[in-house]
Amino acid sequence: MNVALELNGRSVGLECEPDEMLLAVLRREGLRSVRATCGIGVCGACTVLVDGEPVSGCLMLAALSAGRRVTTVEGLSSADPVPRAFVEAHAYQCGWCTPGFILTAKALLADNPDPSEAEIGEALGGNLCRCGSYVEIVAAIRRAAAELAGGALRQ
Amino acid sequence: MSAVQWLEPRSLAEAGEVRAQRGAEATVLAGGSFLGILMNQGFLSPTCLLSLRAVGELRGITVRDGELCLGAMVTHRQVERDETVRRDWPALARAFGIVASPRVRNQATVGGVLADADYASDPPAMLGALGARAVLRGPTGEREVAIDELILGFYQTCIADDELLTEVRVPPAEPGAVYRKFRSRSSEDRPCVAVAAARSGGALRVVVGACAEMPQHYPDICALAAEGPLDGAMAREIARRYAERLQPLTDARGSAGYRRRIVAVEVRRALEELGGVGGETLVRGRQGGTLVRGRRGGTLVRGRRRAGP
Repeated sequence: MNVALELNGRSVGLECEPDEMLLAVLRREGLRSVRATCGIGVCGACTVLVDGEPVSGCLMLAALSAGRRVTTVEGLSSADPVPRAFVEAHAYQCGWCTPGFILTAKALLADNPDPSEAEIGEALGGNLCRCGSYVEIVAAIRRAAAELAGGALRQ
Repeated sequence: MSAVQWLEPRSLAEAGEVRAQRGAEATVLAGGSFLGILMNQGFLSPTCLLSLRAVGELRGITVRDGELCLGAMVTHRQVERDETVRRDWPALARAFGIVASPRVRNQATVGGVLADADYASDPPAMLGALGARAVLRGPTGEREVAIDELILGFYQTCIADDELLTEVRVPPAEPGAVYRKFRSRSSEDRPCVAVAAARSGGALRVVVGACAEMPQHYPDICALAAEGPLDGAMAREIARRYAERLQPLTDARGSAGYRRRIVAVEVRRALEELGGVGGETLVRGRQGGTLVRGRRGGTLVRGRRRAGP
């Protein structure tokens, strides 16, 4: 089947089988930031944004993305403050989980521009970092929030 | 190459016809998070998928005659965030809002979580305690079934091969309803023990989830509450009897013996909250995107831990 969607700002038609997951189809398209890891929606390494909301690429059939707006980190602007904050805060070691964290953080900040540490923990509870960079990840998100707020942060 | 067939009806009438024609041969697909897990694990290889994504009639959140009507394709996230649900059915918003991670809640649906009948899901126990009914639509019309009639066992429901679960109807909100989720592993995990308690029309309904093949509700034990005030002694007695009656299962989240002890504690705490004993807030939910911790005598979610290595 052919699935028409908006992928990282472009209108595309993706060839896929009805029982194929979005993760497999995106990787075939060369979007290697979306990573096959747990396969049960627990780890968050395959996170993509669908209409701005985080979804597990490993659990979502590609066919269900028809007509929707799908974003991976490849689709973020090079000036995007969130990935830059991750670099500046050294919020990773191996980097495997980082795209999923960045996209989840993007959705969080769109919803809540000034999240507390507890709110960050709540929103990112479904993303796992086996290197244990959680402290730096929270710092990165606070840093991105500050930048998005023009430097004026509540806390 | 697989030759899986994709069926995508555009209306409820069309979906009903396709379901009646294809029956069990077509796997009904709602959000797909549960099917996705089964397919990735090799437990399920559908030959034909009947997707309900294009059926607009299944996406509504409405209030009719004081009842909350949730379309089968409404996502957990939509229930969690809906202003009406949060205001008038806050414990329900909480039970949906505490499932897994935001990622899963963006995908999982109200109809899906009931039709899957997974023993360790959060919403069924809460819907059961609130006296909700599922609407099943077949070729000859609709029928309504209570949650304890719908779920028959592990992943088993009373939905016939020519029926679709189209809506869930939740009776008018009562002032007191509580959902407690005890997690033994990580923050995004399924419950080890779930306790939902509500009073409707003066009658107490306590439903324990995640401990047996289906949510457990013991009306005769709940009837004790009619004999006196819901005070600390009553909460302890009902909790003790629930723990005694229940035959808990053993899984990775806890042994039967462990669960039995947790049930005694969590049912007691749920009833203390419901009865206003111990100074805890009656109903907890999220407000303004924040988990209300408002605790004055207990912990909101026991066993809650940051996920991580």
